[in-house]
Amino acid sequence: MKVFVDRARCEGHGLCEDAAPALFGLDDDGELVVRFSETVPAGQEDPADAAVRVCPVGALRRSGES
Amino acid sequence: MPAGRAAGAEGDERRAITVTPTIPRSDIDLWSEEVIQAPYAAYRELRDLGPAVWLERYQVYAVTRYDDVYEALHDHDAFASGAGVALNERLNQKMKGSALVSDPPYHDHVRGVMGGPLTPKALRAHREDFQRLADDLIDRLLERGDFDAVVDFAQLFPLSVVPDLLGWPTEGRENFLAWASAGFNALGPMNERAEADIPVLAGMWAFMAEIVQPGRLRAGSWGDDLVAAAQAGTVSKQLLPALIGDYLVPSLDTTVSSLTSAMLLLGRHPEQWRAVREDPALIPNALNEVIRLETPIRALARTVTRDRELSGTVLPAGSRALIVYASANRDERHWDEPETFDVTRANANTHVGFGHGIHGCVGQGLARLEGHALLTALAEKVETIDVGQPEYRVHNTIRAITTLPATLKAST
Repeated sequence: MKVFVDRARCEGHGLCEDAAPALFGLDDDGELVVRFSETVPAGQEDPADAAVRVCPVGALRRSGES
Repeated sequence: MPAGRAAGAEGDERRAITVTPTIPRSDIDLWSEEVIQAPYAAYRELRDLGPAVWLERYQVYAVTRYDDVYEALHDHDAFASGAGVALNERLNQKMKGSALVSDPPYHDHVRGVMGGPLTPKALRAHREDFQRLADDLIDRLLERGDFDAVVDFAQLFPLSVVPDLLGWPTEGRENFLAWASAGFNALGPMNERAEADIPVLAGMWAFMAEIVQPGRLRAGSWGDDLVAAAQAGTVSKQLLPALIGDYLVPSLDTTVSSLTSAMLLLGRHPEQWRAVREDPALIPNALNEVIRLETPIRALARTVTRDRELSGTVLPAGSRALIVYASANRDERHWDEPETFDVTRANANTHVGFGHGIHGCVGQGLARLEGHALLTALAEKVETIDVGQPEYRVHNTIRAITTLPATLKAST
């Protein structure tokens, strides 16, 4: 499973961090930190999917989807 | 409308018959006074009829189930905003070019310009100020005893922060609430309520045209930055009044609605209030739960740009879809016990009360900051919240309370 992060759309609401703390976080400046590169690590598919769904501004999507 | 045609007579299979499932129709009037004051039974009826229901009175498909609302909001190409999100052409024309009434790629550009100061990161600079203002307000309300949760709490707080952030001069502020209310009334169908507010809006637009002259808004404010962006050619000067309106109008009635509902729900459910006081880490979830249960913006429209299926029902290209957020947020297909107010609800943050996707509320960080500051002050200082009977306002778009008597008792 691949997840694409649209940096231009990300506003730093941080809901992805709540859904998938192993994959996403906000640093001390409130900037999004992505803890994987494109392909979601094995075992993290469900949290990744939850993070994609909960992003309130559509900044995350499963790769291959528009 | 696609007329439903059942399969032909027995033994007639050779005839080419297209079977189009009939989209259910309803004569429910979502803008009647009764439904506006108590909308949830009507929403349930529409959800049970199908994924999309043709509202005969308004010639629009109501999309009311959670999964379909979510899917529509995330397919912003098929459910476009550029031709308008109101149910009347007058407003749709007037608002064209704002972030709300536009599509990518232009939308992303204008949202990027407007949204800069509204990101949670940018808003961090205001957190301490907001908390101090919230603490002071709750202290005053405790001293006062009885108060109106709408005027003295829910309206007072956003009015004490938003105009300053926008850089507004003193004049015109007395009109803010009327303008915000008119702006949302006019997003409904052009009924007598919307008609009555058109002169109010005309006054607002005239004021906006004047306020965007360079030097009128406080230097360094959000509004002034937008004016500077227009001077630099980043956004169109012609659009400035609409963009300033995009900041102002949605920042009041919506927040006022959710803050009043928070007071009402926490007052009516003392065990929930106790849970929040015992664990203030629940505050963000409690605010989400308030917005889920009493969604401030009940519904907005989209234009269907191609034949688009939702849960087996095809909405035809060119039609209009009404996305009913307030119904999705109570859909029993998504929520356990949707009518129950539960500040510990595990999936409360999946609500669509701020919309969702690329048009998701650009001010949600600001709304959360205000709500969290006030709930934090309340949790620290207030043991019991007593509320009287709310009176609901008959408004085309907002779940609005006119008056709510309240009394706070200090924690000992």
